[in-house]
Amino acid sequence: MAEPKTVKIGIMSFAHMHAHGYASCLKRLPNVEFVGIADDDPSRAKQMAEQYGVLAFDTYEQMLASDIDAVIVTSENAKHRRHVALAAQSEKHVLCEKPLATTKQDAEAIVEVVRRSKIKFMMAFPCRFHPAFKRLLESVTSGDLGKVLAMKGTNQGQCPGGWFTDLRLAGGGAVIDHTVHLVDLMRVLTKAEPARVYAEVDNRLFGGEFDDTGIITVEFTNKVFATIDSSWSRPKTYPFWGNVNLEVIGTQGVAKMEMFAQKIDLYSDKTGKHTYEYWGDDVNLALIDSFARSVAEDRAVEITGDDGLKALEVALAAYESAKSREPVDLLA
Amino acid sequence: MQRVAVVGAGTMGRTHADAYARMPNAELVAVCDVKIDAAQQLADKYSVRAFADVRSMLSEVDVDLVDICTPTHTHIDYIKAAAAAGKHICCEKPLTRTTGQAMEAVRICEEAGVVLFPAQVLRWFPEFRKMHDLIVSGAVGTPVVARTSRCSAYPRGTDDWFADMKNSGGVALDMIIHDYDWLRWCFGKVKRVYARGLYESNIPLTDYALVTLRFDSGVIAHVEGNWARPGGFVATVEVAGTDGLLSYSSTDAVPLTIELKAKGEEKVGVTVPESPVSQSPYYLELEHLVNCLETGTKPEVSPEDGLEAVRIGEAALKSISTGQPIALA
Repeated sequence: MAEPKTVKIGIMSFAHMHAHGYASCLKRLPNVEFVGIADDDPSRAKQMAEQYGVLAFDTYEQMLASDIDAVIVTSENAKHRRHVALAAQSEKHVLCEKPLATTKQDAEAIVEVVRRSKIKFMMAFPCRFHPAFKRLLESVTSGDLGKVLAMKGTNQGQCPGGWFTDLRLAGGGAVIDHTVHLVDLMRVLTKAEPARVYAEVDNRLFGGEFDDTGIITVEFTNKVFATIDSSWSRPKTYPFWGNVNLEVIGTQGVAKMEMFAQKIDLYSDKTGKHTYEYWGDDVNLALIDSFARSVAEDRAVEITGDDGLKALEVALAAYESAKSREPVDLLA
Repeated sequence: MQRVAVVGAGTMGRTHADAYARMPNAELVAVCDVKIDAAQQLADKYSVRAFADVRSMLSEVDVDLVDICTPTHTHIDYIKAAAAAGKHICCEKPLTRTTGQAMEAVRICEEAGVVLFPAQVLRWFPEFRKMHDLIVSGAVGTPVVARTSRCSAYPRGTDDWFADMKNSGGVALDMIIHDYDWLRWCFGKVKRVYARGLYESNIPLTDYALVTLRFDSGVIAHVEGNWARPGGFVATVEVAGTDGLLSYSSTDAVPLTIELKAKGEEKVGVTVPESPVSQSPYYLELEHLVNCLETGTKPEVSPEDGLEAVRIGEAALKSISTGQPIALA
C-alpha cells in the first residue's frame, strides 16, 4: 500500500488556547507537516513559530498563498467566518475550532462558502474521538442499554478569561463556549436532532457582561430529553480545567462517562496545588489525524460544518430561552 | 414523655417505630395499618396495641403524637383524623400528594393548634447538614449554581404502591423532594421550575427526571432524580459560588469497605461499602421533634416547608406534562 501523502498544515491564529494542543499534535503526527503560523498579531505568530520551530507568516494571505494543503482556524469565534472564507478562496482545507461562529447567519455563511468550494471542512469536536465515548456509542448502538430515554451532561470548566469573556469576539460566555461539545455527542448518540431548548443562564459567578452559568435542557426529535451544564463553575483552585461528563439512561441500564477520569492526583508543595494529571488518550491527536486522512485520501470528513451549525443553534437557542423564559422550538 | 402512635407499618413505619422505642422521652404506644397483620407484627415487636383503623386507635389509646408513614396519597386523611383528635403530627415526606392537600393540612393543623412536622429527614443527614452549614457560612462565597443527584433502583413499597405514579408522584415528587427541601433550606424561595421526565411515559418500574429550579436569590439548581438505575443508591451534590466549589458524592464517602471471598456454592464474593454513623438520621430527626414537643419549641422544619416542597414537586410534574416552565407565586 502506498504511503499516504503528507498533509501540509498551517495554523490561522493562536487566539484560542487549543491552538497549542493542535500544534503539538501536528508535530507528533507522522502524516502531517506543520508548516507555519499566521496571526492577527504578527508578534504572536513569530513567538509561536519560534516555539514550535515552524515558519511565521506576516499575513494570512501569505500563508494561504504558500504550498500548504490545509489550515486549522483557532481565531476568536467571531473571526471564524472571515478566516474560513479566506482559506476557501485559496482552496485550503479547514479544521475549524468550536463554536462554528457567534451567530446563525455567520454559521450558515460558513456552511455555504464551504459548499460552494472544493475544500474539506471539519469541525473540531475532539470529544467524539475519546475511546470512552466510542465505547459508550458502541454500547448504545448495540442496544445493550435498551432504548435511550434521557441523558445528563456537564462541560463545566474554569473561566478562560481573555477574549472568551468579550461578547463581541466570543458571541457569549460559558454557554456558547461549552454547550456545543455535549450537543454534538448527544446528537451522535441519539441519532436525532435537537427540537426544543430551555435554559436558565446567569452571570453571577463573575458579575461580568458575559454569562458564566448555564443549565440547558434539550429535547430531541425522538423525545429523548437531556440537560447540559455549561457553567464556568470550576474555581481557580480546582485541580483541572474542567470536565466532559455524560450519563445515558436507557430502558435496560444506565451508563456514565467521565471523559477525563484517567488521571493521577498530584499534590505538590512546589506549586502549592493539587492537580489532576490526565494520562488518557489525547483526543486532539485523533481529531487531527482524522482531518489529515480526509485530506490525504480525499474522503469525507467525520464531523461537518452542519454538525457545527446544529450544535451552535442549541447554544443560541439557550440564550433566547433564558431571555424569554420560554422553551424555544428549533424546528418551527 | 411523648406517647407515640405510628400509622403505616411499612419500611418507614418500622424505622420510625424503632427510633421511638429507643428514645428515652418517647414511648411507642400503638401501631396502625389497614393491613392488620402488618400492624400486629410490628406492634408485637414492641408489645404495643395494633389497630387497622386510625379513628378507633385515637379513641382507645392515649396518644400525644401520630406519626404517619403511609403511602403519600393517603397522608391527608390521616392528618385530618389526627388533627381532629387534637394530636400532634409527624408526617413522612412528601407531606401530601398535592399542593391543595398540603395547604389544607397546614390550615387544619393550625386551627387545631397541633404541631405538624414534615419529616424532611435529609436535614438530619450529617453530610447534608454539614454542606448546608458550609454554604450559609459563606464557604463558597455567594452561591450561584447547584447540582444534586439522587439515584436508586425503583422503590418497591408495600403492594408496589410507588409504581402507581398518580399516587406516589414518581421520582420528581417522591424522591427528589428531599433535595427540593434541602435546596430551599440553603437558598430560600424557588420562583421558577422547569422539568423533563418520564412521569407520563408508562415505562414499568422506571422513572427519571431532570429538574431546573430558579430561586429568588438568583441561584440556579439542577436536580436529578433517578429510579432507572440497576446499581445501588448514589447521592451527589455540588454547589459553586463566587469564591469556591463544594462537592460531595456518597460513593466517595465510604470509610469502610468489606470484601468477602465466595462461600460454598457462590461463584463471586460480595463487596459491601459502608458509611456508618453512630446515630441514624431518622433517630436524630424524630428526637428533635420529640424534644420540641417536650419543651414547646418550634421544630426546625415548619408545616410551610413541607407545603413548599410539595409545591415544587407538583410544579415539576406539571412542567413535565406541559413542557412549560412553571412560575411559583
